[in-house]
Amino acid sequence: MTGRERLAEQQAELLKALLAGGEIPPGFDEDRIRAERIVLRTKRRWVTGFLRPDLRRELGARFAELFDAYAVTHPRAEGVRAHQDADAFGQWLIDRGELKAPKKARWSPLGWIASR
Amino acid sequence: MVVAGDAVAEVPGPLGVGIGWREEIDLSIARLPGVDWVEVVAENLHTEHLPETLLALAERGIPVLPHGVSLSLGSAEPVDTRRVEHLAEVTGALGAPMASDHVCFVRAGGLDSGHLLPLPRTREALDVLVDNVKLTQSIVGVPFALENIAALLEWPDAELTEAQFLRELTERTGCLLIVDVANLYANARNLGVDPAAFLDEIPLERLAYVHVAGGIERDGLYHDTHAHPVLPEVLELLGELRSRVDPPGVLLERDDDYPTDTELAGELAAIRAVVTR
Repeated sequence: MTGRERLAEQQAELLKALLAGGEIPPGFDEDRIRAERIVLRTKRRWVTGFLRPDLRRELGARFAELFDAYAVTHPRAEGVRAHQDADAFGQWLIDRGELKAPKKARWSPLGWIASR
Repeated sequence: MVVAGDAVAEVPGPLGVGIGWREEIDLSIARLPGVDWVEVVAENLHTEHLPETLLALAERGIPVLPHGVSLSLGSAEPVDTRRVEHLAEVTGALGAPMASDHVCFVRAGGLDSGHLLPLPRTREALDVLVDNVKLTQSIVGVPFALENIAALLEWPDAELTEAQFLRELTERTGCLLIVDVANLYANARNLGVDPAAFLDEIPLERLAYVHVAGGIERDGLYHDTHAHPVLPEVLELLGELRSRVDPPGVLLERDDDYPTDTELAGELAAIRAVVTR
Protein backbone atom coordinates (compact mmCIF):
# COMPACT_ATOMS: atom_id res chain seq x y z
CA MET A 1 0.00 0.00 0.00
CA THR A 2 1.36 3.43 -0.91
CA GLY A 3 1.42 6.32 1.53
CA ARG A 4 -1.39 7.96 -0.38
CA GLU A 5 -3.57 4.85 -0.18
CA ARG A 6 -2.88 4.46 3.54
CA LEU A 7 -3.79 8.10 4.16
CA ALA A 8 -6.95 7.73 2.07
CA GLU A 9 -8.07 4.88 4.30
CA GLN A 10 -7.29 6.79 7.49
CA GLN A 11 -9.12 9.88 6.30
CA ALA A 12 -12.13 7.81 5.24
CA GLU A 13 -12.24 6.11 8.65
CA LEU A 14 -12.11 9.44 10.45
CA LEU A 15 -14.90 10.91 8.33
CA LYS A 16 -17.03 7.81 8.87
CA ALA A 17 -16.55 8.23 12.61
CA LEU A 18 -17.38 11.93 12.45
CA LEU A 19 -20.30 11.84 10.03
CA ALA A 20 -21.83 8.40 9.89
CA GLY A 21 -21.63 6.94 13.38
CA GLY A 22 -18.51 4.91 12.58
CA GLU A 23 -16.13 3.64 15.21
CA ILE A 24 -13.59 6.09 16.54
CA PRO A 25 -10.20 5.22 15.02
CA PRO A 26 -7.51 4.32 17.56
CA GLY A 27 -5.38 7.12 18.96
CA PHE A 28 -8.00 9.88 18.73
CA ASP A 29 -9.37 11.68 21.78
CA GLU A 30 -12.94 10.43 22.03
CA ASP A 31 -14.26 13.62 23.64
CA ARG A 32 -12.87 15.67 20.77
CA ILE A 33 -14.38 13.35 18.19
CA ARG A 34 -17.73 13.81 19.91
CA ALA A 35 -17.27 17.59 19.97
CA GLU A 36 -16.34 17.61 16.28
CA ARG A 37 -19.39 15.51 15.41
CA ILE A 38 -21.58 18.16 16.98
CA VAL A 39 -19.78 20.98 15.19
CA LEU A 40 -20.11 19.29 11.80
CA ARG A 41 -23.76 18.44 12.31
CA THR A 42 -24.56 21.94 13.56
CA LYS A 43 -22.88 23.50 10.55
CA ARG A 44 -24.71 21.22 8.12
CA ARG A 45 -27.99 21.98 9.89
CA TRP A 46 -27.29 25.69 9.72
CA VAL A 47 -26.57 25.50 5.98
CA THR A 48 -29.72 23.45 5.44
CA GLY A 49 -31.83 25.95 7.36
CA PHE A 50 -30.23 28.80 5.41
CA LEU A 51 -30.96 27.18 2.04
CA ARG A 52 -34.42 25.89 3.00
CA PRO A 53 -35.89 28.44 5.43
CA ASP A 54 -39.28 26.97 4.55
CA LEU A 55 -38.34 23.71 6.30
CA ARG A 56 -37.05 25.57 9.34
CA ARG A 57 -40.24 27.62 9.47
CA GLU A 58 -42.62 24.71 9.04
CA LEU A 59 -40.87 22.44 11.55
CA GLY A 60 -40.23 25.16 14.11
CA ALA A 61 -38.63 23.75 17.24
CA ARG A 62 -38.58 20.24 15.72
CA PHE A 63 -36.23 21.28 12.91
CA ALA A 64 -33.05 20.59 14.87
CA GLU A 65 -34.26 17.30 16.34
CA LEU A 66 -35.44 15.94 13.00
CA PHE A 67 -32.35 17.15 11.16
CA ASP A 68 -30.07 15.48 13.69
CA ALA A 69 -31.98 12.21 13.34
CA TYR A 70 -31.64 12.48 9.58
CA ALA A 71 -28.01 13.54 9.46
CA VAL A 72 -26.27 10.55 11.01
CA THR A 73 -28.06 8.04 8.79
CA HIS A 74 -27.71 10.24 5.71
CA PRO A 75 -24.20 11.70 5.70
CA ARG A 76 -23.60 14.09 2.83
CA ALA A 77 -22.01 12.18 -0.04
CA GLU A 78 -19.17 13.57 -2.14
CA GLY A 79 -20.47 15.44 -5.14
CA VAL A 80 -23.75 16.37 -3.46
CA ARG A 81 -24.08 20.12 -3.46
CA ALA A 82 -25.32 21.95 -0.39
CA HIS A 83 -28.72 22.76 -1.89
CA GLN A 84 -29.18 19.16 -3.02
CA ASP A 85 -28.32 18.05 0.50
CA ALA A 86 -30.90 20.44 1.93
CA ASP A 87 -33.51 19.30 -0.57
CA ALA A 88 -32.83 15.65 0.27
CA PHE A 89 -33.69 16.44 3.89
CA GLY A 90 -36.92 18.04 2.69
CA GLN A 91 -37.79 14.93 0.71
CA TRP A 92 -36.98 12.71 3.71
CA LEU A 93 -39.42 14.76 5.80
CA ILE A 94 -42.12 14.24 3.18
CA ASP A 95 -41.37 10.52 2.91
CA ARG A 96 -41.67 10.19 6.69
CA GLY A 97 -44.92 12.11 6.73
CA GLU A 98 -43.41 14.96 8.76
CA LEU A 99 -44.30 17.42 6.00
CA LYS A 100 -46.86 17.41 3.24
CA ALA A 101 -45.58 17.33 -0.32
CA PRO A 102 -45.87 20.79 -1.91
CA LYS A 103 -48.66 21.10 -4.46
CA LYS A 104 -46.37 22.83 -6.91
CA ALA A 105 -42.85 24.06 -6.80
CA ARG A 106 -40.99 26.93 -8.31
CA TRP A 107 -37.37 27.16 -9.30
CA SER A 108 -35.05 29.29 -7.28
CA PRO A 109 -31.26 29.52 -7.40
CA LEU A 110 -31.25 27.90 -3.97
CA GLY A 111 -33.20 24.88 -5.08
CA TRP A 112 -36.84 23.90 -5.35
CA ILE A 113 -38.87 25.86 -2.92
CA ALA A 114 -42.49 25.10 -2.23
CA SER A 115 -44.74 27.86 -3.48
CA ARG A 116 -46.50 29.83 -0.81
CA MET B 1 13.86 22.97 -0.85
CA VAL B 2 12.38 24.63 -3.90
CA VAL B 3 13.84 23.03 -7.00
CA ALA B 4 15.34 25.41 -9.53
CA GLY B 5 12.75 26.32 -12.12
CA ASP B 6 9.83 25.99 -9.73
CA ALA B 7 7.83 29.15 -9.41
CA VAL B 8 8.19 30.72 -5.99
CA ALA B 9 5.18 32.96 -5.58
CA GLU B 10 5.92 36.61 -5.02
CA VAL B 11 4.51 38.01 -1.80
CA PRO B 12 1.74 40.43 -2.82
CA GLY B 13 2.10 44.17 -2.50
CA PRO B 14 0.46 45.99 0.39
CA LEU B 15 -3.26 45.30 0.65
CA GLY B 16 -4.10 47.07 3.89
CA VAL B 17 -7.10 46.18 6.02
CA GLY B 18 -10.00 44.32 4.46
CA ILE B 19 -13.12 42.34 5.17
CA GLY B 20 -14.55 39.07 3.94
CA TRP B 21 -17.16 39.96 1.31
CA ARG B 22 -20.50 38.28 2.00
CA GLU B 23 -23.72 38.93 0.12
CA GLU B 24 -25.59 39.59 3.39
CA ILE B 25 -23.38 42.58 4.20
CA ASP B 26 -22.56 43.77 0.68
CA LEU B 27 -24.18 47.19 1.18
CA SER B 28 -22.46 47.63 4.53
CA ILE B 29 -19.10 46.79 3.01
CA ALA B 30 -19.65 49.32 0.22
CA ARG B 31 -20.09 52.14 2.73
CA LEU B 32 -17.83 51.05 5.59
CA PRO B 33 -14.85 53.30 6.16
CA GLY B 34 -11.45 51.68 6.07
CA VAL B 35 -12.06 48.77 3.69
CA ASP B 36 -8.92 48.61 1.53
CA TRP B 37 -9.69 45.20 -0.02
CA VAL B 38 -12.02 42.24 0.21
CA GLU B 39 -11.74 38.49 0.03
CA VAL B 40 -14.59 36.41 -1.37
CA VAL B 41 -15.40 32.71 -1.01
CA ALA B 42 -14.78 31.41 -4.53
CA GLU B 43 -17.35 28.62 -4.27
CA ASN B 44 -20.12 31.20 -3.78
CA LEU B 45 -19.41 32.87 -7.13
CA HIS B 46 -20.35 32.05 -10.69
CA THR B 47 -18.24 33.88 -13.21
CA GLU B 48 -21.21 34.44 -15.55
CA HIS B 49 -23.12 36.43 -12.95
CA LEU B 50 -20.85 38.02 -10.40
CA PRO B 51 -22.77 40.11 -7.84
CA GLU B 52 -23.10 43.74 -8.92
CA THR B 53 -22.10 45.03 -5.52
CA LEU B 54 -18.86 43.03 -5.73
CA LEU B 55 -18.12 44.26 -9.25
CA ALA B 56 -18.76 47.81 -8.06
CA LEU B 57 -16.01 47.42 -5.45
CA ALA B 58 -13.62 46.09 -8.07
CA GLU B 59 -14.46 49.06 -10.31
CA ARG B 60 -13.54 51.37 -7.43
CA GLY B 61 -10.11 49.76 -7.52
CA ILE B 62 -10.61 47.68 -4.38
CA PRO B 63 -8.74 44.38 -4.77
CA VAL B 64 -11.05 41.34 -4.63
CA LEU B 65 -9.18 38.14 -3.74
CA PRO B 66 -10.79 34.72 -4.10
CA HIS B 67 -10.52 32.21 -1.27
CA GLY B 68 -11.37 28.54 -1.72
CA VAL B 69 -12.94 26.40 0.98
CA SER B 70 -13.54 23.12 -0.84
CA LEU B 71 -10.39 22.08 -2.70
CA SER B 72 -9.58 19.58 0.07
CA LEU B 73 -5.90 19.69 -0.88
CA GLY B 74 -4.89 17.44 1.98
CA SER B 75 -7.15 14.66 0.72
CA ALA B 76 -5.35 11.48 -0.26
CA GLU B 77 -7.88 10.94 -3.02
CA PRO B 78 -7.19 12.70 -6.32
CA VAL B 79 -7.69 16.47 -6.47
CA ASP B 80 -11.07 17.42 -7.91
CA THR B 81 -9.63 19.51 -10.74
CA ARG B 82 -13.08 20.90 -11.67
CA ARG B 83 -13.06 22.71 -8.33
CA VAL B 84 -9.56 24.05 -9.01
CA GLU B 85 -10.62 25.15 -12.49
CA HIS B 86 -13.57 27.00 -10.98
CA LEU B 87 -11.22 28.78 -8.60
CA ALA B 88 -8.99 29.66 -11.59
CA GLU B 89 -11.99 31.02 -13.52
CA VAL B 90 -13.14 33.14 -10.58
CA THR B 91 -9.59 34.40 -10.08
CA GLY B 92 -9.40 35.37 -13.75
CA ALA B 93 -12.83 37.02 -13.75
CA LEU B 94 -11.88 39.11 -10.72
CA GLY B 95 -8.44 39.93 -12.11
CA ALA B 96 -7.06 38.78 -8.77
CA PRO B 97 -3.29 38.60 -8.23
CA MET B 98 -3.52 35.46 -6.09
CA ALA B 99 -5.84 32.68 -4.93
CA SER B 100 -5.94 30.49 -1.83
CA ASP B 101 -7.44 27.62 0.15
CA HIS B 102 -6.59 25.80 3.39
CA VAL B 103 -4.23 23.22 4.83
CA CYS B 104 -6.91 20.64 5.46
CA PHE B 105 -9.08 17.92 4.03
CA VAL B 106 -12.82 18.14 3.48
CA ARG B 107 -13.78 14.90 1.73
CA ALA B 108 -12.78 11.25 1.99
CA GLY B 109 -14.26 7.81 1.43
CA GLY B 110 -17.23 9.17 -0.49
CA LEU B 111 -18.28 11.56 2.29
CA ASP B 112 -18.24 15.36 2.37
CA SER B 113 -17.79 16.92 5.81
CA GLY B 114 -18.64 20.42 4.59
CA HIS B 115 -15.89 21.62 6.89
CA LEU B 116 -12.12 22.10 7.10
CA LEU B 117 -10.58 19.15 8.95
CA PRO B 118 -7.00 18.78 10.14
CA LEU B 119 -4.38 16.62 8.47
CA PRO B 120 -2.12 14.17 10.19
CA ARG B 121 1.20 15.99 10.60
CA THR B 122 3.19 13.18 9.06
CA ARG B 123 5.70 13.07 6.18
CA GLU B 124 3.22 10.91 4.28
CA ALA B 125 0.44 13.48 4.56
CA LEU B 126 2.84 16.31 3.73
CA ASP B 127 3.95 14.50 0.55
CA VAL B 128 0.33 14.15 -0.55
CA LEU B 129 -0.42 17.80 0.21
CA VAL B 130 2.69 18.98 -1.65
CA ASP B 131 1.74 17.01 -4.77
CA ASN B 132 -1.83 18.29 -4.65
CA VAL B 133 -0.68 21.89 -4.16
CA LYS B 134 1.73 21.66 -7.10
CA LEU B 135 -1.07 20.41 -9.34
CA THR B 136 -3.31 23.22 -8.10
CA GLN B 137 -0.64 25.84 -8.73
CA SER B 138 -0.26 24.61 -12.31
CA ILE B 139 -4.00 25.20 -12.87
CA VAL B 140 -4.67 28.47 -11.04
CA GLY B 141 -1.79 30.24 -12.76
CA VAL B 142 -1.38 32.93 -10.07
CA PRO B 143 0.47 32.83 -6.73
CA PHE B 144 -1.32 30.41 -4.45
CA ALA B 145 -1.59 30.66 -0.67
CA LEU B 146 -2.64 28.21 2.02
CA GLU B 147 -4.16 29.01 5.39
CA ASN B 148 -3.75 27.34 8.79
CA ILE B 149 -7.05 26.03 10.13
CA ALA B 150 -8.62 25.85 13.57
CA ALA B 151 -8.81 22.23 14.71
CA LEU B 152 -10.72 20.64 17.56
CA LEU B 153 -8.91 17.34 17.28
CA GLU B 154 -5.48 16.05 16.45
CA TRP B 155 -4.33 12.93 14.67
CA PRO B 156 -2.15 10.57 16.67
CA ASP B 157 1.55 10.09 15.92
CA ALA B 158 2.47 13.56 14.64
CA GLU B 159 6.00 13.72 13.23
CA LEU B 160 6.10 17.49 12.76
CA THR B 161 4.80 20.55 14.57
CA GLU B 162 2.25 22.61 12.67
CA ALA B 163 4.89 25.28 12.07
CA GLN B 164 7.38 22.73 10.70
CA PHE B 165 4.66 21.30 8.50
CA LEU B 166 3.83 24.75 7.08
CA ARG B 167 7.51 25.62 6.59
CA GLU B 168 8.20 22.46 4.61
CA LEU B 169 5.01 22.99 2.62
CA THR B 170 6.09 26.46 1.54
CA GLU B 171 9.66 25.36 0.84
CA ARG B 172 8.61 22.46 -1.33
CA THR B 173 5.80 24.18 -3.26
CA GLY B 174 6.76 27.85 -3.28
CA CYS B 175 3.28 28.65 -1.99
CA LEU B 176 2.40 31.61 0.22
CA LEU B 177 0.80 31.51 3.67
CA ILE B 178 -2.34 33.03 5.06
CA VAL B 179 -1.98 33.10 8.82
CA ASP B 180 -5.29 33.12 10.63
CA VAL B 181 -4.52 34.43 14.10
CA ALA B 182 -7.98 33.44 15.34
CA ASN B 183 -7.29 29.87 14.24
CA LEU B 184 -3.93 30.08 15.96
CA TYR B 185 -5.69 31.27 19.10
CA ALA B 186 -8.19 28.40 18.82
CA ASN B 187 -5.38 25.88 18.48
CA ALA B 188 -3.57 27.40 21.44
CA ARG B 189 -6.71 27.10 23.54
CA ASN B 190 -7.88 23.71 22.32
CA LEU B 191 -4.69 21.89 21.42
CA GLY B 192 -2.06 23.60 23.52
CA VAL B 193 -0.15 25.09 20.59
CA ASP B 194 2.36 27.75 21.73
CA PRO B 195 1.41 30.76 19.56
CA ALA B 196 4.72 32.57 20.03
CA ALA B 197 6.69 29.49 19.01
CA PHE B 198 4.37 29.02 16.03
CA LEU B 199 4.97 32.59 14.88
CA ASP B 200 8.72 32.21 15.46
CA GLU B 201 8.92 29.05 13.37
CA ILE B 202 6.63 29.64 10.39
CA PRO B 203 8.15 31.29 7.30
CA LEU B 204 6.75 34.79 7.80
CA GLU B 205 8.65 35.90 4.70
CA ARG B 206 6.06 33.86 2.77
CA LEU B 207 3.13 35.67 4.40
CA ALA B 208 0.42 36.75 1.93
CA TYR B 209 -1.92 38.17 4.53
CA VAL B 210 -3.56 37.57 7.90
CA HIS B 211 -7.08 36.55 8.86
CA VAL B 212 -8.81 37.78 12.02
CA ALA B 213 -12.18 36.52 13.24
CA GLY B 214 -14.40 36.17 16.27
CA GLY B 215 -15.44 33.12 18.20
CA ILE B 216 -16.76 31.91 21.50
CA GLU B 217 -16.05 29.38 24.23
CA ARG B 218 -18.56 26.57 24.69
CA ASP B 219 -18.18 23.60 27.02
CA GLY B 220 -14.51 24.30 27.58
CA LEU B 221 -13.64 24.53 23.89
CA TYR B 222 -13.04 27.65 21.85
CA HIS B 223 -15.08 27.69 18.64
CA ASP B 224 -13.95 29.80 15.70
CA THR B 225 -17.48 30.79 14.73
CA HIS B 226 -16.96 33.95 12.66
CA ALA B 227 -20.26 34.90 14.27
CA HIS B 228 -19.04 36.62 17.44
CA PRO B 229 -16.88 39.65 18.20
CA VAL B 230 -13.11 39.41 17.82
CA LEU B 231 -11.56 38.69 21.21
CA PRO B 232 -8.90 41.00 22.60
CA GLU B 233 -6.65 37.92 22.88
CA VAL B 234 -6.86 37.44 19.11
CA LEU B 235 -5.88 41.07 18.54
CA GLU B 236 -2.98 40.48 20.92
CA LEU B 237 -1.83 37.61 18.71
CA LEU B 238 -2.10 39.93 15.71
CA GLY B 239 0.19 42.25 17.68
CA GLU B 240 2.59 39.36 18.32
CA LEU B 241 2.70 38.72 14.59
CA ARG B 242 3.09 42.45 13.87
CA SER B 243 6.11 42.59 16.19
CA ARG B 244 7.79 40.07 13.85
CA VAL B 245 6.61 41.25 10.43
CA ASP B 246 4.58 43.99 8.79
CA PRO B 247 1.82 41.90 7.18
CA PRO B 248 0.96 42.77 3.55
CA GLY B 249 -2.71 42.64 4.52
CA VAL B 250 -5.13 41.82 7.31
CA LEU B 251 -8.71 40.66 6.78
CA LEU B 252 -11.68 40.52 9.13
CA GLU B 253 -13.97 37.53 8.60
CA ARG B 254 -17.59 37.63 9.70
CA ASP B 255 -20.00 35.00 8.41
CA ASP B 256 -23.10 35.10 10.59
CA ASP B 257 -25.01 37.12 13.20
CA TYR B 258 -23.87 40.24 11.41
CA PRO B 259 -23.43 43.20 13.72
CA THR B 260 -24.14 46.84 12.94
CA ASP B 261 -21.95 48.76 10.54
CA THR B 262 -20.60 50.67 13.52
CA GLU B 263 -19.44 47.49 15.20
CA LEU B 264 -17.81 46.19 12.02
CA ALA B 265 -16.10 49.54 11.49
CA GLY B 266 -14.90 49.37 15.09
CA GLU B 267 -13.35 45.95 14.56
CA LEU B 268 -11.65 47.12 11.36
CA ALA B 269 -10.31 50.16 13.19
CA ALA B 270 -9.05 48.00 16.05
CA ILE B 271 -7.20 45.78 13.55
CA ARG B 272 -5.72 48.82 11.83
CA ALA B 273 -4.56 50.21 15.16
CA VAL B 274 -2.64 47.00 15.87
CA VAL B 275 -0.89 46.80 12.51
CA THR B 276 -0.22 50.53 12.01
CA ARG B 277 2.80 51.21 14.11
